[in-house]
Amino acid sequence: MQRSVNFENAGLLAALSLVLLGGLAILGWGVPLGYVLHGWLIALAAGWGILWMLNRISDGPAEVPLEYNDKVIRYGVIAALIWGIIGFAVGDILAWQLAIPSLNGDMSWSNFGRLRPVHTSGVIFGFGGNALIATSFYVVQRTSRARLASETLPWLVFWGYNLFLVVAASGYPLGITQSKEYAEPEWYADLLLLVIWIGYLILYLRTLARRAEPHIYVANWYYLAFIVVIAMLHTVNNLSVPASIAYPKSYSLFSGTQDAMTQWWYGHNAVGFLLTAGFLGMLYYFLPKAVNRPVYSYRMSIVGFWGITFLYLWAGSHHLHYTALPDWVQYLGMTMSIILLVPSWASVFNGILTINGAWDKVRTDPAVRFMMVAVLFYGLSTFEGSFMAIRPVNSLSHYTDWTVGHVHAGALGWVAFITFGAMYKMVPWVWKREGVYSLKLEAWHFWLALSGTLIYVGAMWNSGITQSLMWQTYDADGAFLYSFLDSVIEMHPYYVARAVGGLLYLIGACIGAYNIYMTVSGPRKTETRQTGPLAQPAE
Amino acid sequence: MAVREKDPVSGTELTGHEWDGIKEMDSPVPWASRWALWISIAVSVLYWILYPSFPLVSEYARGVLGYSSRAEVTAAVTAADAGRKQAFAPFASEDIEALAADTSLEARYGASIAKLYADNCAACHTENLKGQPGFPSLADGHWLWSGTPEEIEYTIRYGINTLHDETRIAQMLAFGADGMIEKPQVKEVTEFVLSLSGQDHDAVAAEAGRVVFEENCASCHGDDGRGGYENGAPDLGDGHWIYGGSREDIYQSVYYGRQGVMPAWEGRLSDAQIRMLTLYLLWNAEDAPS
Repeated sequence: MQRSVNFENAGLLAALSLVLLGGLAILGWGVPLGYVLHGWLIALAAGWGILWMLNRISDGPAEVPLEYNDKVIRYGVIAALIWGIIGFAVGDILAWQLAIPSLNGDMSWSNFGRLRPVHTSGVIFGFGGNALIATSFYVVQRTSRARLASETLPWLVFWGYNLFLVVAASGYPLGITQSKEYAEPEWYADLLLLVIWIGYLILYLRTLARRAEPHIYVANWYYLAFIVVIAMLHTVNNLSVPASIAYPKSYSLFSGTQDAMTQWWYGHNAVGFLLTAGFLGMLYYFLPKAVNRPVYSYRMSIVGFWGITFLYLWAGSHHLHYTALPDWVQYLGMTMSIILLVPSWASVFNGILTINGAWDKVRTDPAVRFMMVAVLFYGLSTFEGSFMAIRPVNSLSHYTDWTVGHVHAGALGWVAFITFGAMYKMVPWVWKREGVYSLKLEAWHFWLALSGTLIYVGAMWNSGITQSLMWQTYDADGAFLYSFLDSVIEMHPYYVARAVGGLLYLIGACIGAYNIYMTVSGPRKTETRQTGPLAQPAE
Repeated sequence: MAVREKDPVSGTELTGHEWDGIKEMDSPVPWASRWALWISIAVSVLYWILYPSFPLVSEYARGVLGYSSRAEVTAAVTAADAGRKQAFAPFASEDIEALAADTSLEARYGASIAKLYADNCAACHTENLKGQPGFPSLADGHWLWSGTPEEIEYTIRYGINTLHDETRIAQMLAFGADGMIEKPQVKEVTEFVLSLSGQDHDAVAAEAGRVVFEENCASCHGDDGRGGYENGAPDLGDGHWIYGGSREDIYQSVYYGRQGVMPAWEGRLSDAQIRMLTLYLLWNAEDAPS
């Protein structure tokens, strides 16, 4: 045992040293101010980590408590909430900018193009990513009856991941971006995330390996698929050659159509494996737990898992219909997207039917209501996604606000709803509280979030279809009946509605954060003993 | 096989596993799901047969319909072009003078050309043609290169200060920044320019500025500052300004110069469309008080 721990420490020290060297090189040779500051930030964080480990290296084997490691989960919850509020707030600012363009303040750092990735990275990677890391740590420990396989690695994953987020989000307003949607961070931030993600994968696999259960629970398959595929996507899509150590700029290894296809293979599967598989993992643990019912069908779990895992990876080309991408790639992606609906809806049915026998909880427990509606929105947006992947439909929906509405039906209605539902359950469990501070506030959060989502998505459907029809309408002479400007003017009321919907959603999230804060600062549960036996650490 | 535990609510058998209190039922996949799976696969196979679908070794499966989006879009664009050629037949004529004289065209094509203008010109010159700082008004009847149909068409086609070989070239030099005249002289000539358009000015400084003007500015703007169509130098006395007519704006123009660009639309727009926009400007400029 002693040897394995030392081996781990040596590996972690080596990884941290590499990160430190990278940070030092950037702060030493870097020229642009933001880039140099990133170098300092990375070097300080890695240096602090190294000193922290060196201070403990002669302590001998640490006393590992025979209980679940929940502290890092608590940090993850807090980080998810902070990033969530930042991400929602920036998103709503952008929505108002689209309605009233002068709100960009006429400054480079605050314009739409630079703030948008702060919003997308903030909500997808900051809110979603931290929520997935936190809940995956929770779920893998409970369903394996094993403590996380390392004392140090979970912290490296948590702090390293959030360091990556800070580097990414602070770089965008300064113009540091490689201009790939959802993969904007430049090469040095990408390398940092790669190191962290390998650590996450090793930690997850090692924890599963020491499980005291004969089988691996389905939620863990989904979390593992999320971790493995994101590692693959992140590595391939970010293959690039830095122009110089002195500047953040890099050039992609791909160009032209290949670059576009690689980008959307990445983009679509980030949706498929981060925003879908990861959150299905969340669903498969927290929904049956919350309604106290068995999962409806083990078989549907299997069909859903393998169907999604197999099919998503083919479907990315439906983002490039009617482009320079060869027709056969478009049709192949389109047909795989159609089949994809079946395993997606298998998960929907499995979720909804799991509630059978406990539907009263939808009425009495807002957390269950969050999760139930999340499953419905998952069903809605996967149907919509398959539908929009059909080429003629896509010729209507592509490049319009319909796409924006679609992605927000999934992001607001599915991803964030399942996360809020899971959080309202998990927060009292990991902080050992009796329950959530206020069910009434929880219900307020639910209704604000639901009305915000419906307003948002409804506005974007109207806006998207309107603008698409305006763009494609010709008069009897074959000339445009509307100018592009006409369509922009026509969008205005929908953009205002969207911004109002987003504001409701943001207010709901703030109420949720307050509710969770009050829950955490409330009294501890009197009975704090762990339920169920915990396995001995691996020998 | 041992009798398996059943879910007390539905009576369905459980799989026998349990994780942290979570059990799973052994419910079969519903018939609707199975049917949907086979139907969606059948639809996909049909698509693979009909349309281009899978990569082969040195080719791809073309599908029995022989579909090609490139061929489809080429045919659609050709058909649309032919239709438009017919609908906009009058503009095939290169005689812009005659087109300008044809009073029937505005009523027939005005609304349609307004969209062409809005899509291509309004971003700078604004939708009502009145321009904005840096971009001249097209509706005030004041022209830099004359308002004849040929000259307007030329400007649209080749642009101003573009990379086109036939481009118009006009540049207001940076007299102050490039050290051609001293700062006090810039101030004096600014006062003189203010006087040209009858604005409030310092008469003594303006008198000194007149000399500066004659030596540096008159070659383009003319001795009287009324500009000239030969070199696109604006009239400084007509009260219409591209970059603003205040003391600060004029000082800025003299000190740092101006290098405005009008894109060349040849290639981007068809010849007929360029003629349509020419007429559109004439129709609207005629309506405007000059």
